[in-house]
Amino acid sequence: MANVTIDNVIKRYGSVQVMHGVSVDIEDGEFVVLVGPSGCGKSTLLRMLAGLEEISDGTISIGDRVVNDVPPKERDIAMVFQSYALYPHKTVYDNIGFPLKMAKRPKAEIDEQVTKAAGILDLTKYLKRYPKELSGGQRQRVAMGRAIVRDPQVFLFDEPLSNLDAKLRVTMRIEIKELHQRLGTTIVYVTHDQIEAMTMADKIVVMRDGKVEQIGSPLDLYDNPNNTFVASFIGSPSMNFVHGKIATEAGQKIFLSDSGMKLPLPPTEAQEGRAVTYGVRPEHIQIGDSGVPMEVVVVEPTGSETQIFAKSGKDVIDALVKERISARPQSTLGFVINPDDVHLFDRASEQRI
Amino acid sequence: MQNAIQELGWFLLAPTLTILFFFGVLPFFYVVYVSFHSWNPFAVDPNMVFNGADNFRKIVFDPAFLNSVSVTVLFVLFAVISELIVGYLLAQAFMRDFPGKAIFRTIHTLPLIMAPIIVGSVWKLMTTPSIGIIPHYLDEWFGITMNIGTSAPAAFATIVIMDIWHWTPLVTLTLIAALVSLPPDPFEQAQIDGANKRQIFWHITLPMIAPAVVATVFIRLMDALRTVDEVWMLTGGGPGSATRFVGVHIFKEVFPKTNYGYGSTISVIVLYLTIVVCWLLYVTMLAPRSKKD
Repeated sequence: MANVTIDNVIKRYGSVQVMHGVSVDIEDGEFVVLVGPSGCGKSTLLRMLAGLEEISDGTISIGDRVVNDVPPKERDIAMVFQSYALYPHKTVYDNIGFPLKMAKRPKAEIDEQVTKAAGILDLTKYLKRYPKELSGGQRQRVAMGRAIVRDPQVFLFDEPLSNLDAKLRVTMRIEIKELHQRLGTTIVYVTHDQIEAMTMADKIVVMRDGKVEQIGSPLDLYDNPNNTFVASFIGSPSMNFVHGKIATEAGQKIFLSDSGMKLPLPPTEAQEGRAVTYGVRPEHIQIGDSGVPMEVVVVEPTGSETQIFAKSGKDVIDALVKERISARPQSTLGFVINPDDVHLFDRASEQRI
Repeated sequence: MQNAIQELGWFLLAPTLTILFFFGVLPFFYVVYVSFHSWNPFAVDPNMVFNGADNFRKIVFDPAFLNSVSVTVLFVLFAVISELIVGYLLAQAFMRDFPGKAIFRTIHTLPLIMAPIIVGSVWKLMTTPSIGIIPHYLDEWFGITMNIGTSAPAAFATIVIMDIWHWTPLVTLTLIAALVSLPPDPFEQAQIDGANKRQIFWHITLPMIAPAVVATVFIRLMDALRTVDEVWMLTGGGPGSATRFVGVHIFKEVFPKTNYGYGSTISVIVLYLTIVVCWLLYVTMLAPRSKKD
């Protein structure tokens, strides 16, 4: 158990700099998720934490120890790879017991630890099997078992669920979270799936192009995204964005889109005429007669919810409502937007206003 | 439709099968047939006379044959094990980058494309006392006299080294192919799991390239067991019978002595021994793995 400090870390491959001064503080026992699109540097950061990639500049500390030049085997970490990286020629038992065997622990202790981990992960029946004879979910659990027996200071997960089918992913998500609650060990978890990030994390680090865009709790990121990137990345379905400017109508500030749609604004200090991006989440839009009239394009009922895509001029907005609505394409619906749910971003800098 | 395709298939295979039959299958059975006869076409009685298992009975107590088997086994052990070790080290070296790698790799592969008979002559030239470069420098630098014509250990060692020089590149090439195809994740995982380099080699690398290693050992073993031309060129089986490997022994039995019947018997026995050795190797090294896969 330890806290992890990533301080102004830079990564260069030759003359190409791919990571530009990343700093993250991870507290003891915290579940931190690094999230971002492919190529944002989240896996590289995790690999630097594991010691599999060199750190070009800055420092990474685990506990009070700077680990920049410490080889992986001495960092006291455990890692679960996306591919699970099981040893194909070893049985489940030998895979899980491998770290202990390498540490030359006595056989009785290995046996006890492996049996215990197998019990926790429901693998007892499969101990004599080889990885090839296991399903994806079972392999995933073996990889976790191998991490658990180490009793490490930090667990690292590199997209561990992305090779599983949707249903199993949900189950394993819960299992990993339960495991964290039981063991209380610090976890750093990399994923590109924002739902995994939202559901599992104590703290989310959103990354893009080798930079940290925002760090915060899941709901904090959902409610107060720093910029359009975080706003679009967190939340599903993704936030609606409309480009336009601030205008005044009847003495009140309103939003006027490029194609002439008028939308309500929360109290804002932004000057009239300022170019802005208007953001509102689909689930914050209600249907009602008092709303902005929109022309229906597509209606997608899922049973529990209905998603409606509608347009006004060139602007397309989608709404996600609980009610079952059977509107025909080209008919008109009123979209009611509560000004308090609106996010305003500067159009050029994409930063929150 | 299915039939037509099958007919076409057999038609396309026919030339190969014909050649294989006349130059492979037929001679093999002919040799087996001859091995049950006493036949020396240049003797007083040039006829082939059936003598049952006499040749096989004789072979078990033939000291010349038994000697040739033991020298061969020694040679194969020394050569193949050294080739494996040197080949693996070279393969690991070629997995890394170093200046002049491309040129070194090309040069290192050259021996492979040389015919054994050429290799034998070149090494003969290099090791002949008073004209060869090797005895010359051994004498000049270390004061060692080397004469493969008179010293049995020198002749044996030279042949082993020549074989290593000739065939290690094959081992290197197959092992490079095996190493390149390994997934990187288990190795990174092993580092994180706390394994040091030696542990990674024994627990991860070796088991994962084992099929390639076994295949290479098979090829080298079968090849080494029937080495003839290089040895024939270099020492002719001498001095005495120090390098008289089974291949050379058969050659001497059949050609200078024209003892066709007995020569065939030795061939059959050697083939049998080779199959047994390979089968044992397969059973011990590969069969337990196939259960896992």
